Amino acid sequence: MKYSYNWLKELANTQKTAEEMAELLTMHSFELEGLEKKEINLTGVVIGKILEIKKHPDADKLQLTKIEIGKKKLEIVCGAPNIKIGDKVPVALVGAQLPNGIKIRETKIRGVKSVGMLCAEDELDLGENHNGIMILDEDAPVGMSIKKYLEIRNDTIFEIKILPDRAHDAMSYVGVAREMAILDNQKFDYDFAGLKLPKKKSRKLKVIIKDKKLCPRYIGAVMEGVIIKESPDWLRARLEASGIRPINNVVDATNYVMLELGQPLHAFDFSQVQEISKNETAKIIIRKAQKNEKIELLDGEVLKLTVDNLVIANNQEPLVLAGVMGGKNSEINNDTKSIILESANFNAISIRTTRIEHKIRTESSDRFEKNIDPNLAEKAIRRVIEILEHTAEAKLEGVVDIYPQKNKPQKIEINLDYINSLLGEEIKKAEVLKILKSLQFKIIGKEEEKTILVEAPTYRVDLKTPEDVIEDIGRIWGYEKIKPQPLVEPIIPAKINQQLFLERKIRQNIIGLGFDEIYNYSFYGEEDVVNCKLNQKQHLRLENPMNPSQHLVRANLVPNILKNIFINLKHFDSFKIFKIGRNYWLEKGTVKEERKLVMANILKKDQDGETFYEMKGAVEDLLEIIGIDKKALVISKIKELNKYYIHPTRSAEIKINEKLIGYVGEINPLVLLKYKIEKRVALAEIDLRKLLAITQTEKKYQSLKKFPSVTRDISMLVNHDVQVLDIVNLIKRAGKVILKVSLFDVFKKDKKTSLAFHLEFGVDDRTLKNKEIDKEIGKIVTELETKLKVEVRQ
Amino acid sequence: MKKEKIKNLSNQFFQEIQTVQSEDQLFQLEKKYLGRKSEFIGFLKSLKNLAPEERKQFGRLANEIKKEITQKLEEKKKELIEKSFDFEKESLDVTMPGRKKGVGHLNPISIVRYKIEDIFSRMGYEVADGSEIETEFYNFDALNIPAHHPARDMQDTFWLQQKIKNQHPKVKREEERLAMRSQTSAGQVKYMEKHKPPFRIIVPGKCFRNEATDTTHEHTFYQFEALVVGENINVGHLKFTAQEFFSQFFKQKVKIRLRPSYFPFTEPGFEFDITCTVCHGKGCSACQGGGWLELGGAGMVNQNVFEASGYPRNKYQGFAWGFGIERLAMMKYGIDDVRLFHSGDLRFIKQF
Repeated sequence: MKYSYNWLKELANTQKTAEEMAELLTMHSFELEGLEKKEINLTGVVIGKILEIKKHPDADKLQLTKIEIGKKKLEIVCGAPNIKIGDKVPVALVGAQLPNGIKIRETKIRGVKSVGMLCAEDELDLGENHNGIMILDEDAPVGMSIKKYLEIRNDTIFEIKILPDRAHDAMSYVGVAREMAILDNQKFDYDFAGLKLPKKKSRKLKVIIKDKKLCPRYIGAVMEGVIIKESPDWLRARLEASGIRPINNVVDATNYVMLELGQPLHAFDFSQVQEISKNETAKIIIRKAQKNEKIELLDGEVLKLTVDNLVIANNQEPLVLAGVMGGKNSEINNDTKSIILESANFNAISIRTTRIEHKIRTESSDRFEKNIDPNLAEKAIRRVIEILEHTAEAKLEGVVDIYPQKNKPQKIEINLDYINSLLGEEIKKAEVLKILKSLQFKIIGKEEEKTILVEAPTYRVDLKTPEDVIEDIGRIWGYEKIKPQPLVEPIIPAKINQQLFLERKIRQNIIGLGFDEIYNYSFYGEEDVVNCKLNQKQHLRLENPMNPSQHLVRANLVPNILKNIFINLKHFDSFKIFKIGRNYWLEKGTVKEERKLVMANILKKDQDGETFYEMKGAVEDLLEIIGIDKKALVISKIKELNKYYIHPTRSAEIKINEKLIGYVGEINPLVLLKYKIEKRVALAEIDLRKLLAITQTEKKYQSLKKFPSVTRDISMLVNHDVQVLDIVNLIKRAGKVILKVSLFDVFKKDKKTSLAFHLEFGVDDRTLKNKEIDKEIGKIVTELETKLKVEVRQ
Repeated sequence: MKKEKIKNLSNQFFQEIQTVQSEDQLFQLEKKYLGRKSEFIGFLKSLKNLAPEERKQFGRLANEIKKEITQKLEEKKKELIEKSFDFEKESLDVTMPGRKKGVGHLNPISIVRYKIEDIFSRMGYEVADGSEIETEFYNFDALNIPAHHPARDMQDTFWLQQKIKNQHPKVKREEERLAMRSQTSAGQVKYMEKHKPPFRIIVPGKCFRNEATDTTHEHTFYQFEALVVGENINVGHLKFTAQEFFSQFFKQKVKIRLRPSYFPFTEPGFEFDITCTVCHGKGCSACQGGGWLELGGAGMVNQNVFEASGYPRNKYQGFAWGFGIERLAMMKYGIDDVRLFHSGDLRFIKQF
C-alpha cells in the first residue's frame, strides 16, 4: 500500500526524516518496497480571480479573461470553457516553469497578447484531471501562492508491503503511524478511543442481519441535507497520494476513513434503499443471495450470485456484494440528498471465497478478507460522519448498531524465560514491560511475577499465542541486537541418504564421459503423450497450467529431452546430454513417483549404428564407474518392447544380476519426425531406485595370473540373425580354459557378416600347451557350427 | 719395456677415440683395441707366459687400463647416441588441438547445490528429500496455512485436477487435493513425523509457483531449506548458522541481518539479508546502495507446525530458513536471466 509520509508524520507526531523512518520501519516493522520523493515545483503559480470573460475576436474556441492577482490585473487568453466570472483559479505567471516542463512566456495568441496561463490540475501535477481549468474553493485568497494555499509540501511516498499477519491493522495510516510513534518513542495521541458512536438512534433506518456469523456487526447511519460536490483539495490530494481516485465528497470521505483507519465503508443513496410503501423509512437486510439473483456492480459488471454470497439488500434486491463492491442501483449521484453510511464487519472467509469466486479484488475485500476488528466499525462511522458534516454540510439523522457479540481482547500468558530462550537474548523485565505498554498491551497480572498475563489490543487480530507476543517484543527490541550463537546440541553423525548419494555420484562421474546436464520443466502437453504414445500411464493434470502445452505433470522424461535436443541442434551438430529427474503419475488412486536418469547422444555422422553403440558404451562405462560389477551387467535384446518411442530394432534392455533397470536404444524415427529432429538420437533410460536396490557387493580381488595366457584368433561368417552375445556366450560355455573373448573385426559381406574374435586361454598353474589349445578350439568350432550354423574360417 | 708398451697402447687409444665421429668408427676402434685379435688383448694373453711375480705386476696394470678403455668406450657410445638424436626432426606444433574425449558440464544449480550440501554436511546436517507433489495437508494445512487463509495468496500454487483418498489421520476431509509443492518446507512435517529431535536437516529441491516468468521470475525453481530442532534452539543460533554458512559459501566474512516478516509456519518470522558480497556492506550498485542483499526467509518454527507433526506443544524450539539456489548461482556466476537454468540450452551449460 502507498502512504504519504506527510500524512503519516502528522499522525505519528514524529520529526524523523522519511529516510530515517524508512530504516526504522524496515528493521522493526514492515518491508518497504519503495520510497518515492515527490517534489512539486510550483513557483510562480498564484491564485487569481476571474474578473471578466470576453470572446476572442479571431477564434471561436478561445476566450479573453481579465484576472486579478492582488493589485495587478492580467489579461490571459484561455481555451477551456469551464470558467465563469468570479472563479478562483491557479495562474502561472510569466517566468514560471510548470512541472510538465512548460515555461510561461508573454505571447500573442491569434493576435491577442496573453500574459500568463490558467492551469488545469494535470498541468500542475496535482491530479490527472484535464477537463478544464482547476477551480479552487471560493474562499481561496487571491494572490497567494498556490503551493502555500494547497499546503503542498514536498512529500515522500512509502510503498509498504503489508503481509497478511498485519493487514488487520496496518493497511491503514493509523496502523503504520502507531508503529512509527513506538519506534520514535512518541506518544500516539490520535485518540480514537474518544470516537464513540453517536447516541442518536435513527428513526428512518431499520437493519436486519439474517446471518450473524457472516456479519458480526453492522452500523448504519442516516445523513440528510447532503450536498454532493468535489471534496476539498487537501482531502483529494491525500487520496491521490495514496493511489485512490477522488470521485465526490461522499465517496471520498468513505475512502479517506478507510485509508486512515483500515475500515472499509460504504454509502448508499437513501432514496434507492427506501421502502416504496412507507415513504420515510429504509430497510437494510444482510442476507445470503438467492439462487440466480443478479447484481450490477459499480463498475458496470453484472454478476450472477450464488447462495454462499453475502449481500446487503433492500426489500426487493441486492444493493451491495457485501464487503466487496457496491451496486449501481444505490450509487451516490449528483441528486443524492440523503445517504446511508455503512460501517460493518464481515466474515473474512466468506469475503475471500466470494471475491475469488467472482474474480474481483477491491480495497474493501483486501481488508475484510484479512479479518478486521469489529470494534473499528464504531470509530470509522464517527469519523466519516464528522468529515461529511464539514465537506457535504450533511446532518446526522441517527444511527443503528447491531453488534450481538462484542469482540473481547485476547488474553495471553507470557513467560519471561521463554521470551529470552526463544530469542536468544537477555531482555530485562522492565524493557519487556515498556515494549508491551508501547504496543498498547494491557498488563493484567502482577508485574513482579515471571509469567505475565497480558491483554492484546483488539485491533491486533494476529496476536493469539505467546510466540506472537514474543515476536512483537523481539522486533521492537531489535533483532540486530541478538548475538550469533553456535549450536550446542549434540552432534549425531548425519545419515547418508543413499538415493541422493547415488544421484550425486552419477552426476559427478557422468560429466567425465562427456555428458552435459540438462534441467527442464516437469510439465508437458497432450501432444507429447500422443507423439510418444505415453497413454499407458494416468497423467496428473494441472488445474491452472501456465499454458495448454504444459498442463500435464510429466510421467516420462523423454518428451522434454527431445525438445531440448531440437533446440540445441540449432547450435551444435553433436552432443551428449543427461538429466536426472522424477516422474509422477496416478495408479490405483495413489501418486506414483519414479526417479530416472536419461542420457542421450547425437553424433555428427552415423553409418552403422555408431550413435547406438556409443551410447551403449557410455552406459557400460558409467555403470562401471559407479561400482557395478561388469560381469553382472547384461545388455541384450528387449524381450517385450512396450515403449513406442524406442526404436524397435535398435534397442536393448539393461539388466544387472538379471534385474531389469532400464533401456538403451535409438529413438523411434517416427517419433523424431514429430519433434523435427533430423538426426539419429540414442538414449538410455535407467531407473535409479532399481539401480540403488541392486546390492552393490564389495569387489573381490583376484590374484594375478602367474603363467602367461595364450591368445588365438578365430573368424567366422554368420547369418544376420545371429547375435554376437550368443556367439560369445557359446564360446565361453564350450571352452573350459577361456579367459576372455573379444570381438575385434566386423564387416558385412552379402547376406552374411564376418566376425573376428581374440580368444584368450589360460589356467592358474601352468602355461597351456598348443595341443591343449587346439583341442579347445576344435570343440568351440564344432559347437559354433552345429548350434549357430556359423561358418568358421581358420 | 712391456710397461711402456701398454702405456703407449693406452695413449694411442685415448688419442684415437678423440677423432671418432660415428658409432661405426667406435665399433672399429673397440675391435682394434679390445677385439679378440687386437694387439692389446694379444698382449694380455701373452702375460700368462710371464713369471708369477711379473705377471702379477703387469696383470694389475693391464686390467686397469682395460677398465679405463672400456669405460671410455661406454662414455663415448652414450655421447654419440645423444648427439645422433635429431630433436629438430622430431619437433611438433604443440598448438595443434589436443585429442580430447570431451568432458561434460553440470548445470550450475547442481554445482551450487552440492557446494551448499557440503558446507552443511560439515556442520553435521543430514540431507533429506521430499516429494515434488504434496497433498494439501503437507503443503499448506500442516504449515499453519489453513484453507481460505490469505497467506495462501503468498504462493501461487499449481493445483492438480485429480484428488486422492485422504490417508492422514489429522485430515478430516475424505479426499485430498494435490499440489506441486510450492516450497521445500512441505517436507518438514513429513520428516518430523518420522524423527524425534534433536536433529539438523537440509532439504534441497524443486519447487513450483504459478507465476509469469521473466528474467528474475521462474515458475520452476530450486529451494534450499535448513531445519534445526531441539529444546533450546533460538534466534541467535539461526544467526550464527546463517552467518557461518554464507561466510563459507562466499569465502568472505558475511554478516546477517534479520528483518521482521511473516511466514505462517514460523513465529517470529524474518527476512534475512547478508552484507553485500560485492562491496562488503559499503553500498554499491549490486545492493542498490544499501549494503545488504536480500536472500531468503527464516524464522522460529511455529508451535502449530510442531503440533501438526505430532510433537507436544512448547516442548521443542527450532529454526528454519530457506533460499533460492538460483539466486545464489546468479550471484556467484553473474547470470542475468533465471530462465536459463531450465532452458536446457547447452550454450549456457557448457560454461560451467
